[in-house]
Amino acid sequence: MIRRALVVALLIAVAVPLLLAMSQLPPHGSPDTPPNTHVSPYYLEHGAEEGGAENIVTAVILNYRGFDTEGEVTVIFTSMAAVLAVLMLAKPDRAPRVAPTPELPVSVVVRFIVRVLAPFIAMFAIYVILNGHVTPGGGFQGGTILGALVIALSLVLSREDADALLPRKPEHLLQAAAPIAFFLVGMAGLLYWGEYLYFPRDEAQRWIGVLMLTIIEIGIGVGGACVLIRIFRAMRTE
Amino acid sequence: MITWPPLLALLIAIPMTSAVLTPAVARGNGNRAFWWALGVMSVASVIATMLIARVSQEGPFSYVVGGWVAPYGIELHFDEFSAAIAIICLLGLLAIVYSKDYVAHAIAEPRIPYYYTLLLLNLVAMMGFTVTGDLFNLFVFMEILSLSGYALVAVSGERIAEMAAFKYLVMGAVSSLMVLFGIGLLYALTGSLNMADIATRLEGAPSAPLAVAFAVLTLGFMVKAALFPLHIWLPDAHAIAPSPISAVLSGLVVKVGIIGMLRVYQIAYGSGAIDMSGLNLVLMWLGAISIVMGAFFAVFQDDIKMMLAYSTISNIGYIVMGLGLASTYGLIGASVHVFNHALIKATLFFGAGALIYRTGKRTLTDLAGVGRSMPFTVAAISIGAISIVGMPPTAGFLCKWYIALGAMQAGHPFFAFALVFGALFIFIYYIRMVNAFYFQQPKDPAILEVKEAPATMLVPTLILATLCLVMGVLGRVPLSFIEPAVNRLLATVGGG
Repeated sequence: MIRRALVVALLIAVAVPLLLAMSQLPPHGSPDTPPNTHVSPYYLEHGAEEGGAENIVTAVILNYRGFDTEGEVTVIFTSMAAVLAVLMLAKPDRAPRVAPTPELPVSVVVRFIVRVLAPFIAMFAIYVILNGHVTPGGGFQGGTILGALVIALSLVLSREDADALLPRKPEHLLQAAAPIAFFLVGMAGLLYWGEYLYFPRDEAQRWIGVLMLTIIEIGIGVGGACVLIRIFRAMRTE
Repeated sequence: MITWPPLLALLIAIPMTSAVLTPAVARGNGNRAFWWALGVMSVASVIATMLIARVSQEGPFSYVVGGWVAPYGIELHFDEFSAAIAIICLLGLLAIVYSKDYVAHAIAEPRIPYYYTLLLLNLVAMMGFTVTGDLFNLFVFMEILSLSGYALVAVSGERIAEMAAFKYLVMGAVSSLMVLFGIGLLYALTGSLNMADIATRLEGAPSAPLAVAFAVLTLGFMVKAALFPLHIWLPDAHAIAPSPISAVLSGLVVKVGIIGMLRVYQIAYGSGAIDMSGLNLVLMWLGAISIVMGAFFAVFQDDIKMMLAYSTISNIGYIVMGLGLASTYGLIGASVHVFNHALIKATLFFGAGALIYRTGKRTLTDLAGVGRSMPFTVAAISIGAISIVGMPPTAGFLCKWYIALGAMQAGHPFFAFALVFGALFIFIYYIRMVNAFYFQQPKDPAILEVKEAPATMLVPTLILATLCLVMGVLGRVPLSFIEPAVNRLLATVGGG
């Protein structure tokens, strides 16, 4: 009882200053607060021309603040490496397959629906990845859809068929596709224009910028999907 | 001297990309992963050396990624405090060499490539954290660092390691959340994420959110630094991790909290919009309490790695006290102790790891008499021990001396007393350790038969022990190197 009272007292003691601070913040959404008058108007004005993407969000995360996103994709990779380092017990491709877990029969309805929807989900994933620089979406979202598709398929397919969806051979490279795509595009910028992660800004070279953004989007999509699949498989073998 | 601007971005980009390629290069082979990690860290060390040479000659410099200008793009900023990458590279290289034989025995074979991947990611994230000039970028690197840190604690696969990692994860997630909240508040007040830009735009901001922003940022970094009462995650995590990881976590990762606090101070002092003296007083007191409590708990430990882990809390206390004193000597001492404590604590953890590797025992009682069979390792531990107490010819002395001078300078002689008192406690437990290794009768005579540690473990330990002595003799070099940065920081508050 006393313990509970102490917890409540502590929560109130923490909440009061936080709420006081929130109440004095510049009003959210008002046009003349610092977040709306300092850096972001520049993005809105110049993002479409300089940023190389009609979707301003994409211009900010891949171009203006691309270095952050290079870090973020590495965060995603790190979480996968963490899961694998903690869960992986035996070498997957050499370990003798000891008593495969008895597979529960999947309901006919689920199997049918997943199979029918699979090509459409795949197409939607590719659309989201490739159209990220025009409409909301991009590599992160598309990659998640792609990863979820493969996970859904591995629920209804036999283990051999499911494993064939992401072969062991290139998986070590594919799981790192996002940081690698960033690095290659960044180095291309460094070699041609002298700045790391530089995207060309003038009209004539615009298509090169779009191409570079697309390469990164595909990298993020493939890498993200692969990371999800690897985590799923690591947990499945546990 | 090389002044090519993009070098600063490549310091992060090259090792980060190489780190994610480690599993692809290794293809399941631990030895290949080892050589790759060693190569990557060597390249990073070469770049780091060039950058430090540049900062020592021309002072701080910046690079904005992607050719944008500062508040719009992400600015990387290299000042004298960023020279902490020197110790990250040095310890990183030695920890990788040390891991070669250690992990073969402590970690399941298929996990080894991921062990090196996570170690490299951890090191490069620390470098990124140290050189970035953008608050959100700082947070991104803090996330890579924390995630890899949790996994590295759990990597040995023992149940107790997983529990320790989980405790570390929960505390770490809370601290990340606090830091993110602080960054969000600062963004709401200024509309910017660039540290230098925020400092110029904080004037006239409402006081409550400003105070809360700095409070949560400091609190978040205090958890990362394991300052007393927020240290509860540290002893288990640091003691249970594989020894090369213990050295990296205890020597470097907790310092990230300190560097984070230094960055917060740079913003606060630079803006002049907030009075930090209240916070400084809190930091001084918590520092003093950490020194005494860390040392106090350490005295009662029988497990050598547990003892070393508690001593980290006490040393973080010294550093935080130096920060809180906000006087020239105090800050110089604290900044250099970030470097020297890393050397000393890594010596001790490497030494302890070698003893555990050869004998399979980890308590002082069981390890009694080991000095006769592993003379070099125990000699290195002894050098580390006298350094951490702060005996004059070693690396530990000058920093503590400077922090004590700083306490006098700031008009708080009581804290100088706390420092000396803490040093006495520390003296007791290291004397216990040296006494057990050299002079006690072995409990189990088999301990006299064990072999000296293998070269991959002994050589890094001896290099670090030598550096503990060298840094004691050349102690003035880092002190005068960091002085301009400290003066610049304090000039804005008119202290000094």
